[in-house]
Amino acid sequence: MTKLPIGGTSSRKLDPLRTAVAAVAVLCTVVACSPVDSGDGGNQTDNSQPAGQDSFGTPADPAAVKQGGNLVIALSAEPDALDPTLSRSLYSRYVFQAMCQKLYDVDEKAQVVPQLATALPVTSGDGKTVTISLRQGARFADGTQFDSAAVKATLERHLTNARSARKSELGPIDGVDTPDPQTVVLRLKQPFAPLLGALADRAGMIMSPKALQSLGDEFASAPVCVGPFKFAKRVPQNSIDVVKDPNYYEADKVHLDTISWRILTDASIRAANLRSGDAQVADSVSTQDVASLRQDASLSVLQSQSLGYQGLTLNIGNVDGVRTTPKPINRPIAQNAKVRQAFEHAIDRKVLVEAVFNGLHATACSPISPASPFSSPEAQACPAHDPAKAKQLLAEAGVPTPYPVTLLASNTPDTLRLAQALQSMVKDGGFDLKINPVEYSSLLDEQDRGNFELLQLGWSGRIDPDANITNFVGTLASQNVAGYSNPQLDAILTQARQASDVEERKKLYGQAVTLLQQDDALIYLYRQRNLTAVTKQVQGLQVFPDGVIRAAFAGFAK
Amino acid sequence: MARYLLTRAWQSALTLLLSTIVVFFGVRALPGDPALALAGEDRSPEALEAIRHHYGLDQPVPVQFAQYVERTVQGDFGVSIRTGVPVSSMLTTALPVTAELAVLAILIAALLGVGAGVLAAVRRGRPAEWLANGMALIGLSVPHFWLGLLAILYLSVATGLFPASGFVPLLEDPVDNLHHIVLPAVILGTGLAAIIMRQTRSAMLDSLSSDYVRTAKAKGLPPRAVITRHALRNSLIVVVTIVGLQLGGLISGAVVTEQIFGLPGFGKMTIDAVFQRDYPVIQAVVLLTATAYIVINFFVDLLYSVIDPRIRVTGDPA
Repeated sequence: MTKLPIGGTSSRKLDPLRTAVAAVAVLCTVVACSPVDSGDGGNQTDNSQPAGQDSFGTPADPAAVKQGGNLVIALSAEPDALDPTLSRSLYSRYVFQAMCQKLYDVDEKAQVVPQLATALPVTSGDGKTVTISLRQGARFADGTQFDSAAVKATLERHLTNARSARKSELGPIDGVDTPDPQTVVLRLKQPFAPLLGALADRAGMIMSPKALQSLGDEFASAPVCVGPFKFAKRVPQNSIDVVKDPNYYEADKVHLDTISWRILTDASIRAANLRSGDAQVADSVSTQDVASLRQDASLSVLQSQSLGYQGLTLNIGNVDGVRTTPKPINRPIAQNAKVRQAFEHAIDRKVLVEAVFNGLHATACSPISPASPFSSPEAQACPAHDPAKAKQLLAEAGVPTPYPVTLLASNTPDTLRLAQALQSMVKDGGFDLKINPVEYSSLLDEQDRGNFELLQLGWSGRIDPDANITNFVGTLASQNVAGYSNPQLDAILTQARQASDVEERKKLYGQAVTLLQQDDALIYLYRQRNLTAVTKQVQGLQVFPDGVIRAAFAGFAK
Repeated sequence: MARYLLTRAWQSALTLLLSTIVVFFGVRALPGDPALALAGEDRSPEALEAIRHHYGLDQPVPVQFAQYVERTVQGDFGVSIRTGVPVSSMLTTALPVTAELAVLAILIAALLGVGAGVLAAVRRGRPAEWLANGMALIGLSVPHFWLGLLAILYLSVATGLFPASGFVPLLEDPVDNLHHIVLPAVILGTGLAAIIMRQTRSAMLDSLSSDYVRTAKAKGLPPRAVITRHALRNSLIVVVTIVGLQLGGLISGAVVTEQIFGLPGFGKMTIDAVFQRDYPVIQAVVLLTATAYIVINFFVDLLYSVIDPRIRVTGDPA
């Protein structure tokens, strides 16, 4: 019989240092393993498709849909604060779509359409006054009347709250006037074309003034807006529930009783929940799962090309960190555009998308999606895959081959497969690519500090092209991690931001893309498709190019 | 006894303090910035500054530490950077989930493990023992996430016997709650059950060949009484120790299991917190885990003396 002396020389005595070290070891183990999802920004889990085949879903036919039912949506990441002023996570927009209507919305052609406004805004000749007429008879979920005062209260909160994520989106707004309850006038310091796109996103979500008054910074704990559904309950990390709002101005168009978003970060688990019937919708389906989901007769897969992109950023001047004056970096790939162009010519985007994403993503060569109303032939121009030309350019630059380049990339499975495909691809063009995978939070840190040579990065996309370009390539812009600066490009982007004519903006963005491809600080690779799986019992669920799942007017088939 | 308790208390306090210090400075030494993680795609300098200021991350680290200790001593764990919710309220939602999962997993593991272990020892060399050993080998070598996926595939997707994910609080609907949590608890308990089974089996074999069992048999006691009252009681010491020691493994197992079944527990919260560099949550989690570990160890030691009267907490070996 083993004797266990206690308090004497037991081998099980607590060792303070060992326990502490073990705690840290656990922490480091967690950090070292791959996140299932990288949250916002960088690389979301798959959403993709080949050029062409968009399938946005169709509106429900009221005759074929029964009243009532609870729709469960399996969501790949947890939304953050349900407060339109503070929200920074794209996933929050899924929930807001059912609960917080906006002054403007987006249709399937990525065109802006009125929602709580009655018409597109009227902009004065000098572009500095924007007049918006508002819907009459709408009520917030708490019964408060929706009017111009409510819009003013919301916009002012967006502009003044210390932690507001909307301030920069709203640009140069100087003041908000309310000549009557149905009219809002925005005064601008200078013309600002991207404003409309912002008002069709979180900046345009109007909050109940009564709730803002009583909850203040705690608005997210019980958000109140105008919408088909109202907030019911949230269990952190687990679920968010909304119920049908009888106060909604078109309540007769709402079929479901409740919608629940259930957070399930693993793509295969989301697919399993869909098959078991525990959920009827799953977002961000993996390109690896699409084929098998399509074989299931009870499921359909919606796909919509996103307005964002995935690409590569080259560090050409970020020495002291993002938003600091660019400094020369003593490396051929940073100093000589020919080396960067060679790298671009060494990439075969078509093969990349086929091999890594089963052809479900679209190739991309610029920050402007072909789905955007601002797209043009110049904006879709594409440097060809040409390994011979790549080698020739490297020779002209006087660089010995194979030229070594290190790629910093997130350690998610998808990104690693992408990096490995690139690695074998650019060999033929005379490059020796090394991959340095890091966990997502570290990646953000390293890219801002400028501790990289080449970096894989992505952007989910916004409606207005300015929001997909300027922040990343404008001199000293907030996310210009390349340390890139081209005064000519800055001038074009400023002009495009202040122009109100779509044709003129189209032309200017075409010119911007030409410059971007000459300098090649960013190499655009592919455009994700938002892949959403839905059981066929559910009708009327739609996903548009803004990537938001529109479930508010869906219903179960009779 | 009093001296022993004092020593243990001092050791525990030191352990807690050390883990707090190491974790506090450790998470800050990791690359990555909570403000960046929180800012998402809208990373304007003003926004980053506002976030850092709001959560006191713009203060020097020693100052942050002093504030942290001061608050923690008062029972205030601060506010989560990721969710903006007080950490204490996140813990109150997450802890019951993990506690229920862990308790259920331990119960299932103990029942299965002790039962199979006794059976394997009593039926030595017969098919029952091979079966028990085989199951233990599977339980030990198959990882939780794989078992979990298989369980979802066959017991949820194919047959619909159990929900594939989700959680219902115990007080809301006890039946539905069990329906949701039984499968994850079984999955989480498999590894532990295997360990308990093997340990029980070897301890039982030990006891069954010992003098006191032979004496008991010679006295004419029925076999069942010999096995349960004499042999098993002594073997349980080992089981209790194993359960205590395996607690760490159970917590890391719970992380994986909760991720797979979408349970809003402690494990999932920890993972999310580490990836988002949510300092206050990581600190609270480590502090609580260390505390739990210390408390459980202490009770395991006390249990020995209940199970085996020869062991007394006097500091002297019996």
